Amino acid sequence: MPHYIKIEMLRMFRNKRYVIFVVAFPVGFYLLYSNLWGSQVDKTTGLKGSVILMVSMAAYGALASSMMSSAVPWAQERQSGWLRQLQITPLSGWAIIVTKLVASLLLVLPSLLLVCLAAVLTQHVSLSVGEWAGLIGAMWIGTIPFVALGLIIGSLLPPDTAQPAAMVGMFGLALLGGLWFPLEIMPATMRSIARALPSYDYASIGWRIVAGEAPQLSSVLGVLGWGVVLGALAVVAYRRATVRA
Amino acid sequence: MSGTRVRRSAASAISLRSVSKGYGPVRAVRDLSLEVRPGETVALLGHNGAGKSTTVAMLLGLVGPDTGRALVCGHDPARAVQDGLIAAMLQDAGMMPGVRVAELVGLAHRAYPSPLPVARALELAGLTEVASRRVDRLSGGQAQRLRFAVAVVADPEIVVLDEPTRALDVRGRAEFWEAMRAYAASGRTLLFATHYLDEVDENAGRVVVMAKGRVIADGTPAEIRGRVGGGTVRFSCDAGHGAFAALPGVTGVEVRGERVLLRTADADVTVRALAAGVLPWRDLRVTPASLDESFLMLTEEAS
Repeated sequence: MPHYIKIEMLRMFRNKRYVIFVVAFPVGFYLLYSNLWGSQVDKTTGLKGSVILMVSMAAYGALASSMMSSAVPWAQERQSGWLRQLQITPLSGWAIIVTKLVASLLLVLPSLLLVCLAAVLTQHVSLSVGEWAGLIGAMWIGTIPFVALGLIIGSLLPPDTAQPAAMVGMFGLALLGGLWFPLEIMPATMRSIARALPSYDYASIGWRIVAGEAPQLSSVLGVLGWGVVLGALAVVAYRRATVRA
Repeated sequence: MSGTRVRRSAASAISLRSVSKGYGPVRAVRDLSLEVRPGETVALLGHNGAGKSTTVAMLLGLVGPDTGRALVCGHDPARAVQDGLIAAMLQDAGMMPGVRVAELVGLAHRAYPSPLPVARALELAGLTEVASRRVDRLSGGQAQRLRFAVAVVADPEIVVLDEPTRALDVRGRAEFWEAMRAYAASGRTLLFATHYLDEVDENAGRVVVMAKGRVIADGTPAEIRGRVGGGTVRFSCDAGHGAFAALPGVTGVEVRGERVLLRTADADVTVRALAAGVLPWRDLRVTPASLDESFLMLTEEAS
């Protein structure tokens, strides 16, 4: 299985779309935004823009990666019949889905780490070792609901609709979750939508950690709850998708 | 199964005993029995909907029979797949995009308990030269041989091919069968479903004809032709056209000008009667029934 995971990752790195949208975009936007607003200081938390933006763009990159590396490849493999070929090897259905999950999670790391690295190198962001570990750990494991969502999309839709569906899901979650614009400047209805979304809870955990505070229980429960619900749906969708037609 | 695998432990490589499978109101396979000995090369022939794909799916444990029993090398099919005793190339089975040929075969290699070395599987499939090419950049023939490599790397006792040369050009087909014959020569069991009868003649030792979920004929290609019988007798003759239909063995007569074509159930009997007769025929030719004709007649009989 480690070999299978390795191959899954290799093919994504060869995918230009993945590298551009998922790895280069968040870093590029971080560099752009932090140059524009990096030195502004948030009044409630006292944090510099460069730090808040680091969390936002890392969250966006991780979110994009987790959905892009799951939904479309999975839909393609189902349609192309590769999945059927796998089903007649000794690899079990569980091995296949666990591989997908692990590979998608590992693929989150490049965008996450590169944004943090860019923040350190260009904006001289400095956090304690514990904060870095907490931030990266939480932002990494916190992508589980999004990987699950990607697998749901990939299990239910054919590749040509899975692609736009994943894009809409990804940008929708990023925009409404406050990753591109702070919640404070949104109208009230959008704000209440944002608060119900896993992407907002997910990014909030990061924002709290960089502010030197413990994440709010509601955020952690939000991500966990979405993780459980979407994970369960992904299992159902996966089973439906792998029953032989 | 641990350690060394016992080869040819079972008398039959494939054993289907009175299996039936239905999908709702459709009875895909009806009370089908089939025994394949190790080392046989068997062609499974039939029109679309004859039950070939369902039969193949049962052999691979993808679907279970409603009644009856399927055994592969003496084991339950799912178990045989797990142990790498049977491996298959399915119709239109896709490939994982973005990976290289050797990587994909390597992935399958690692899934099996006692596989062939990757280089050997590539060699058997004739893919050594394109080992580092991306799978989405292969020709149709190469892609099909890659599917074969993915199956053969299991080093299985039985390889199942479901319409392996569909959508291949003439050259692709020739290359594909060349690889297949080399593999069959190593004593492994090969079962393939196909529509192309010329492939059957050249590559199968045994033909199983299916129609409506049943086996309607089973034998060597020559026997299948023989079951339908004789063939055609052609000659030129400008008199006595009315007498041909009455000749022994004749089942059909076509006359075009002075060219006469007789379909016969037994060419020997018909030719003897012609020779003993007084008709002024000349330029006589006898052709055995083609497998195409036999297949069509057999499947028409069954419907």
